[in-house]
Amino acid sequence: MPSKRSTISAKLSDKQPATAAPRTDQAIITTRSLCRYYGDDEHNKVKAVDNISIEIRPAEFTAIVGPSGSGKTTLLHLLGGLDDVTSGSVELAGTNIADMSGAQLADFRRDHIGFIFQAYNLIPVLSAAENIEYIMLLQGINNNTRKQRVEQMLAQVGLQGHGNRRPNKLSGGQQQRVAIARAMASKPDIILADEPTANLDSKTGIALLDLMKTLNETNNITFVFSTHDEKIMNRASRLIHIEDGQVIKDENR
Amino acid sequence: MQTLKLAMRNIFRNTRRSVLTIMLIGFSLSALILTDAITRGMLLLMTQNVTQTFSGEAQSHRKGYRQNLDIDLYFTSDLLEKQLHQDPAVKFYTSRVISGAMITSSHNVAAGLIYGVDAAGESKLGKTQQALIQGNYLTGSDHAASDILASDNITSDLITSDGEMLMGYAMAELLEADIGDRIVVSLSEVDTGELTQALFRISGIFKFGIREFDNNVAFVNINPFRSVLGLKANQSHEIAFSFIDPEDAKKPDLDIFKQLNNETIETLGWLELNKEISMIIEMSSYASLIVGIVLFSLTVLGVINSMFMSIYERIYEFGVFLAIGTRPVALALLILCEALLISLISCFFGMLLSFAIGSWTGVHGIPFGNVEFSGIAISSNILTQLHSSQFINFPLYVILLTLGAAIYPAIFAARIAPTEALQRSL
Repeated sequence: MPSKRSTISAKLSDKQPATAAPRTDQAIITTRSLCRYYGDDEHNKVKAVDNISIEIRPAEFTAIVGPSGSGKTTLLHLLGGLDDVTSGSVELAGTNIADMSGAQLADFRRDHIGFIFQAYNLIPVLSAAENIEYIMLLQGINNNTRKQRVEQMLAQVGLQGHGNRRPNKLSGGQQQRVAIARAMASKPDIILADEPTANLDSKTGIALLDLMKTLNETNNITFVFSTHDEKIMNRASRLIHIEDGQVIKDENR
Repeated sequence: MQTLKLAMRNIFRNTRRSVLTIMLIGFSLSALILTDAITRGMLLLMTQNVTQTFSGEAQSHRKGYRQNLDIDLYFTSDLLEKQLHQDPAVKFYTSRVISGAMITSSHNVAAGLIYGVDAAGESKLGKTQQALIQGNYLTGSDHAASDILASDNITSDLITSDGEMLMGYAMAELLEADIGDRIVVSLSEVDTGELTQALFRISGIFKFGIREFDNNVAFVNINPFRSVLGLKANQSHEIAFSFIDPEDAKKPDLDIFKQLNNETIETLGWLELNKEISMIIEMSSYASLIVGIVLFSLTVLGVINSMFMSIYERIYEFGVFLAIGTRPVALALLILCEALLISLISCFFGMLLSFAIGSWTGVHGIPFGNVEFSGIAISSNILTQLHSSQFINFPLYVILLTLGAAIYPAIFAARIAPTEALQRSL
């Protein structure tokens, strides 16, 4: 799937003004006039994401911020190929993922995108190590490499010795660390995190964000995460403010 | 392997539900196996009642004889007996002479069927001797026959002798006759049709538990009876025989059947001779099929319900699976693997249960009381018959049906949209 380049043209609606951001070859993610509407009726149509054009560059530590219902999660799902676009395009690593089939998207997510969710991130019947290993099994990585990388990831997130524990034997913060380790294990181009600290207390949440920031700086991993917590968003190097599905402010810090 | 590992662990996440599902499938399987085992046991008992009581596993007659028991349709039996004697598949054989007769005691009269039998051969082939409830079995003496033939000093047509006779208890009750009582038998001679009479003395009273026999049949020694009927010593109406392997009786292509079937003689296995039994067997297979369909339908619904509950419970988890790159088909495979493992565990449980119950009832039997079905008595306990095919075919059906039942839930799981799944709260 990574070889598939942007041969699929963007589905631009006549009603959507072409407000595409200037293309830079360095961008990992580029969205052009990205829209996600729910409901067919014109009067009841919900514009969860409305004409968003952004670029995310490598090694950025970007926060998508906004109030509840502003479209943060929908945007992240569109960036990760979890949701269908209504119009516009999402190019990830040069590939338009908007028109991919379910299986193609699954493979693409496996190889290029890491995900961290609010909670219940981990497969409960697998240990921490097995959760991290699972995605590498999907990638077909050999046993030795998998084991080495699991140990490496656990060390990076500070969970050495916790590999055999099932998720229910880990604290919320530890579970999110395992989720980060799992997201990094596949060596993705980008990690998308949907309010990763929402279910954590503020201290643990900040510690988690610090860990993500450290990994971003030391490993040059691109992070895009959503939050509405000001303490958390202050740690981001770029803030994309959205409201009613539209970008209202895009600031580098 | 990863899918199997996940499936196995998922099964035991909700132990109560899994155990209930396993019990549902396992009990259904054991019910099916035991139903089949009971049916087989009942059929075996009925078959044994038919074949081992009196009729044997196969019989030879003159063609047309069975339709109306015409006493003129006799045949020379010594050649057939020789062939049966030489055939390695044949276990026992015996010749019979049969005639309808008016049977008269000093108190009453009854119409019945007199069988002239070879005492020794009959005791090997059937249970005539064991069926005696009073008196003694036939001695097999043909001395009386000579006496009968030599009884020219009898003034009337009545031929006298003290020939032994075994009589059904119901007929004895009707005739108000007991051991030692004299019985006059009136019948027609073969070919000439002349009326003749013979005197017998009741030496034994039997009870087969088969109404037709107990009410209507009497046994006498074959040679005296041949004489009464005007038959030669090598002439008979019927030869009954049994096989070393009872299953041979169901094989019309067997050599002995080919040898003993010609223009005048027909030789048939017990299934052909007893059409009612064939119908009962066929009917019982339909009954098993219906029981199977009902049980399997319940199982299928139970499995679908259980799988859907399991899917709805894990829908967020499936969203995570899909988000991190699991293909939809892999999710479907996971559901099918879970169904496969549940069915395997269920089959193990079901087979164990049915084997334990079936083995016990196979030895101690299931009491059915004294019932008669289509003229066939089932008086003893039904011993359940466990067979390897029950532990191969039925579990295989259960596994296939469980997998079939899991296809719809599996497709449902594969079609879950990750973004919708991730929005479901737990």
